[in-house]
Amino acid sequence: MDRNQLIKWLEAPAKMGHKYSLHAVYFCTGCGIIEVPPSITARWDAERFGVLPTASPRQANLFLITGYVSVKTLKAIIRTYEQMPEPKYTVGFGSCPINGGMYWDSYNTIKHLDKYIPIDGWIAGCMPRPEAIFVAVTHLWTLIDKDMADGYKRYRKYYSQYRANQEKVLLGLEWPPLFPIEAG
Amino acid sequence: MRIVWLFLSPLIALVAGVLLLGLSRKIMARIHWRYGPPLLQPVIDIIRLFSQRSASHGILFDLGIVVSLAGSLIITLFLPFGNIAPLSGSGGMLVILYMMLIGPLGIALSGGESGNPNASIGISRNLMLAIGYEVPLLMVLLAVMTRYGTISIVEIVRVQQASTWSIASWPLVVSGLAYLLVMPAMLGFRPFEVVQAPQEISSGPMVEYGGSYLALVSIQHALSLYITISLFVNLMLGGSGNIVIFLFKMLVVFVLFLFVNAVFPRFRIEQAVRYLWRWPTLIGLIGLVLVALVGR
Amino acid sequence: MMVELLLIVAFGGSLLTYVLGKLSSRLRNGFALLNALALVIMIGMLYGQEFERSLPFGFLGIQFSIRMNMLSWFFAATILGIGLLAVLYSFRYMKGKERLDYYYFTLLFINASMLGTVVAGDLLSFFIFWEMMSWSTYLLISLRGGGKAIFAGIKYIIMSLVGSLAMLVAIVSLYTAFGTVDIGELAVHMQSASLGLALLVVILFSITFVIINALWPFHTWLPDAHAEAVSPFSAILSAVLVRKGLYGLFLLMYVILGFSFLDRLAVGAISFSNVLAWIGAITIVFAAFRALLQNDSKRILAWSTVGQGGYMVLGVSVATSMGMAGGTFHILNHCIYIALLFFVAGAIEHRTGGIRDLDSLGGLIKKMPVAFVGGLVGIFGLIGLPLTNGFVSKWLIYKSLILEGRPFLAFAAFLGTWGTILYGYKFIHNIFLGQLPDELRDVKRVPFTMAVPIMVLVVLVFLFGVLPGIPLSVVNQVGTYMGFEPLDLNVWGIPSESGTLNVVNLLAAIAVAGFLVWLLFKTLGRSTRVDQSDNYAAGAAIPRGRYGFTREFYAPLYRIVSPYVKDFPDALFLWIADRTKALGGMTRKIYSGYVGSYVMYIVLFLAALVFVQLTWSPW
Repeated sequence: MDRNQLIKWLEAPAKMGHKYSLHAVYFCTGCGIIEVPPSITARWDAERFGVLPTASPRQANLFLITGYVSVKTLKAIIRTYEQMPEPKYTVGFGSCPINGGMYWDSYNTIKHLDKYIPIDGWIAGCMPRPEAIFVAVTHLWTLIDKDMADGYKRYRKYYSQYRANQEKVLLGLEWPPLFPIEAG
Repeated sequence: MRIVWLFLSPLIALVAGVLLLGLSRKIMARIHWRYGPPLLQPVIDIIRLFSQRSASHGILFDLGIVVSLAGSLIITLFLPFGNIAPLSGSGGMLVILYMMLIGPLGIALSGGESGNPNASIGISRNLMLAIGYEVPLLMVLLAVMTRYGTISIVEIVRVQQASTWSIASWPLVVSGLAYLLVMPAMLGFRPFEVVQAPQEISSGPMVEYGGSYLALVSIQHALSLYITISLFVNLMLGGSGNIVIFLFKMLVVFVLFLFVNAVFPRFRIEQAVRYLWRWPTLIGLIGLVLVALVGR
Repeated sequence: MMVELLLIVAFGGSLLTYVLGKLSSRLRNGFALLNALALVIMIGMLYGQEFERSLPFGFLGIQFSIRMNMLSWFFAATILGIGLLAVLYSFRYMKGKERLDYYYFTLLFINASMLGTVVAGDLLSFFIFWEMMSWSTYLLISLRGGGKAIFAGIKYIIMSLVGSLAMLVAIVSLYTAFGTVDIGELAVHMQSASLGLALLVVILFSITFVIINALWPFHTWLPDAHAEAVSPFSAILSAVLVRKGLYGLFLLMYVILGFSFLDRLAVGAISFSNVLAWIGAITIVFAAFRALLQNDSKRILAWSTVGQGGYMVLGVSVATSMGMAGGTFHILNHCIYIALLFFVAGAIEHRTGGIRDLDSLGGLIKKMPVAFVGGLVGIFGLIGLPLTNGFVSKWLIYKSLILEGRPFLAFAAFLGTWGTILYGYKFIHNIFLGQLPDELRDVKRVPFTMAVPIMVLVVLVFLFGVLPGIPLSVVNQVGTYMGFEPLDLNVWGIPSESGTLNVVNLLAAIAVAGFLVWLLFKTLGRSTRVDQSDNYAAGAAIPRGRYGFTREFYAPLYRIVSPYVKDFPDALFLWIADRTKALGGMTRKIYSGYVGSYVMYIVLFLAALVFVQLTWSPW
């Protein structure tokens, strides 16, 4: 830990904590999850970046959307995202969450994920290699440093729009709104 | 001076516990041929958790955690730490045994309040595992207390300092062996890592904890590591008159069980209890009978 | 005259309650409460008095007498205290039920007859009061009617009768040997008694007291009785009635026989106190594992009553002043927290429409906070966590066992405590924690008159846990009366060379640590309150009403232990009952109803007599 780091730690311990302790939800949304086991085990060792899979969204602050998102998965994604404590960061992993990828013309695939939950960054590729996850993580560090990883703030701010989009595609949700929705 | 130690010894225990936690992650990583996180990664995690906004399920959900951590902090006052034990005169081993319940019980109540069945399963496993290892453990503790004819842990340490370690003295060596066999279960290490079992029951009692709740539970976990190992060192390895040597003994014991942790898969709870009630209990019983025969 | 007055008020009050009930139910309730209150005040005024007095009447030429001393006072105080709370609790609990006059009469009558047993100065009046107690208990166990209640009542009364008969035989043999049944005189005579007589008397009395104290293997009546009895009476049954067995043991072991005589009752290592201690140890472990397997809130508590009785017997049979103090203090503590737990279980039953099945409850902490606090504190006392009263008495018992060099008995005691944690947590979890089922959404709070006894007992649990010196000084006097060295005491604990207990240090440490952690938690952590439906379910919305884990809470452990903890004594007794019934059926065939066959029996009998006379000429 050099001197620069130490000063940053003293200035904003919370921010540094968020940077170096990214605990990811252990939630396989699609085929991209196949890249996660190698990245957390001996070959690539994500733990040296402070990235660790956790069992429950309550304990996590990083959400990797790994692979294509069907309508059914979207519901679980929204639920999981809402249960994560703030601040939380979302990363879309692979081409599919970005624009539907090879399922671009499927009736049941979500093509614009960021209409339903805010995404802080994307990793393009089909599949991206595990190294790409680390590139993403280091990029996320920069974003957190510059306060640009503000997806959770956007979600709070534009919740009524997000909720409306979600209800439109999912034909209603079984749980009450997370934040109060202002009329109109 | 005593007042100072009253506040200092929980802090030292806290620091030691958190360092042990960090060390465990590092050593586990090296055994897996990984580089591993920095040593202070648990501290970073705790800082991160405290700055997160979390969800609460009710008053007991909050209070259980607080009581659990408070209870664990207090036990460090009763356990001799080097030659310091600020409150050891207030009840001896029996109080320690009972105070060691407060930690798990607090988490059990708080986890139960969360209303998640994963938590309930984890707690039920925790309690079953506890009664599994308590059977041999109680035999060992009773053997030690009967052998030295006292319930005061300070007295037990003093006798060992004067003569030899319990684990190296004749009838108690059998009990010491039983104690070694149940230590992984007490520490919650594999093959007894059935309580949290993240892949099965989403980390069990902690499933609904986020933010400051998880931070407090992590601290409590670190403390309970410290307490378990420190009890072993005090009872079996002769404690120490010196803080540095005491911590060194703790480190040795910890690393030893970490190696066990690193190479084993996980028992089912049923297998765990069966194992604990078979070999350690048998050896513990032999140890207790020997002590009862040999006398003081 | 105070004790006579006490008995007159107690018995007269119960009769008068019945009469008043015919006039108005409010009058009856008020009078029952006043009567119980008056008794508590009177027993308070009797504190510290010691006397023995003959009554002006007797029976079969035996003069009745009454006595008052610390032993009697201690038990009388627990009886009347719990009695008062139970009466208060009954008002709402029994509201709208049938045969209330009868219920209040029997409740007060049981209290009065229990009071009679502890102030009786001679064994004959002791026996008479004992029988009154047994029969009225039978009536109250079967109060609800129906096959199960009658069965539980019959089970109780048969076992109790066996005990009573044993006691009667013992009393008669004492009377024929010494010509007196006065306790004070017997204590003098017994020192010169032959060992054979003493052994007979001890065994016969022990059978009685072990049965009523529900120790293994004679525990089988208690769980059934509790499952059928109404909750206020369950509290009395568990808290004080079964402990009459311990009063009897005290009377027998330390008042009538005395130490020196007890030591003589030994063959090698097998002595009376050793046997008693091992019965206690088996009871503790057996009951703890049986309680694990129960799924009915009151049955769990019933088994815990059985188990806690084992602790008291362990403490008493160690026969050091510390063990004795532990055992005696445990009687008081157990009476407090088990009454509390039965009140809580009753409140749940009352508000949820009679649900006692632990699988169909849950999440009631938000609906019934008072009941929750009561249940939690009661379970803490039962486990014996520090700062509750159970801790101090268990600490004394453990310590005396360890210092006396009896590690195996201590092991049984410890193991029982760990079993207690398991079923105690199950009790709390399945009733109060977890998800609130939709059917229980409209459950109301505990009514005021039921909440008052609960809160009083909660306060007592903590009061006696934090300042154990106050009740222990009374316990010390009980011990002194029975000939033990008084324990060294101060208000907050027990100072002694080989390990002291200082509860105030503990309290201060817990308070400070708790406060600091709370401060840390509040300043650093931010949290929002969420509904129970906002819960992790792997990304799905939780399935309403089905999202809980209560059924077979300890299933893996259950599979391991259930082959070993079958209730063999119960099966044996039921088998005996079954055989006896079959025998009765066979005997009935003799009465065929034909005059001819009866004439044949007579002729055959006479022929046999003649044959015997002619062959051996015995007459």
